[in-house]
Amino acid sequence: MSVARTILCLGQVLLLCAATVTAHHAFSPVYDSKRSTTVAGVVVEFRFVNPHAMLTLDVADDAGKPVKWTVEFAGQLNLAEIGWTKDSLKPGEQITVTGNPTHVVSHQMAFVRIVKADATVLLPAAAQRTDILEQERRERARSRKQSP
Amino acid sequence: MSRGLILLMMMSLAWPIEGIAQSPPKSKLEGMWSDPPVTIMARFCASWCTDAGIERLNALLDNPANDGKSVAQLSAEASAYQNDSYIKSRLTPAALSSYPLDPADDPGLLKCEPWGLARQMFAPHQLQIRPLGPDRMELHYGEWDARRMVYMDGRRPPAGQAPSRLGHSTGRWEGDTLVVETISVAANLTIWRARHSDQLHVVERFTRSSDGAMLQLTATVADPWSLREPVVIKRNWRWAPTSIIAPYDECKPPIAVKRGVTP
Repeated sequence: MSVARTILCLGQVLLLCAATVTAHHAFSPVYDSKRSTTVAGVVVEFRFVNPHAMLTLDVADDAGKPVKWTVEFAGQLNLAEIGWTKDSLKPGEQITVTGNPTHVVSHQMAFVRIVKADATVLLPAAAQRTDILEQERRERARSRKQSP
Repeated sequence: MSRGLILLMMMSLAWPIEGIAQSPPKSKLEGMWSDPPVTIMARFCASWCTDAGIERLNALLDNPANDGKSVAQLSAEASAYQNDSYIKSRLTPAALSSYPLDPADDPGLLKCEPWGLARQMFAPHQLQIRPLGPDRMELHYGEWDARRMVYMDGRRPPAGQAPSRLGHSTGRWEGDTLVVETISVAANLTIWRARHSDQLHVVERFTRSSDGAMLQLTATVADPWSLREPVVIKRNWRWAPTSIIAPYDECKPPIAVKRGVTP
């Protein structure tokens, strides 16, 4: 399946639209964190480099013709902290990518979520930390309520 | 086996342990450090924070009215508070005229220009501290693969040397604390999105937490051009001996940027 599917969320789906990448500069001048786009396609190349890892993806347009999409990630320094390697995305893999589109340029987005063919989900480091931090916040609130 | 021999063996085993405990204080900081652990406060100070911001975040977390808000929301509120109540109130009119800088004007984004000292010392990811000979230490950062030389013999910058991006740093030990003083920094940007002048003067104090797991930085930043009074900024790292600083050589400026978008 390689038909592009695009969803604009305009802020309703906060999880998908949350600012995702921190690195050597803010992403806000380039990517629109209030919108989200999802495409399905085939990995052409994954460059696991600094300051930003880059993915090139072939996505079929409505006529079935492949269109190159670019996905920008945090850098290798950031991704390596959560266990990514240069082989985390391999050429030929079928994946579905959700990201924040650019303000201006077409067919380019900042990484928010990837789902692989085997249903493996890849998330940015910040998103992976969310559950742990929320658990700490809930425990803190619970202990406050229990204290005299 | 005689009791004397056993005692001698026990002493020989104990000796190296005592030796480690008495090793020079500076060895406590040398090595690789990286992103702090996943706790609310450690992540709040993963890049930079202030006591004002920490106190505000604690107050927000302790307020039952905020129990429905996420950590991200509360951290953003505390961050906004420290920007307004601590940073902005200390900026001079000269600095306020362009504060806060539009991220679309960041030369790191537009031209892949490496950061100056007032951002680099709070950069995310690794910091490797290592001695380079008897009279100098190197601070090697993952972000930008930047390296700072810290002269431990107190030498002044050569006469006539122009201010540089990362300045001239001298260091000394105060007990277990590495104190690094930096001058001769070229005018540039701060991590709080303000401009600073070449009169910048920074004193960094690096200490290891009592459990050894964290490296803590307290930096006092002064600049009569941009600051009415010095500001004290904090940042922390966790001990990460297996972390690796990878090459940082594929920076490409964006094709287009949009101004006026808040990060």
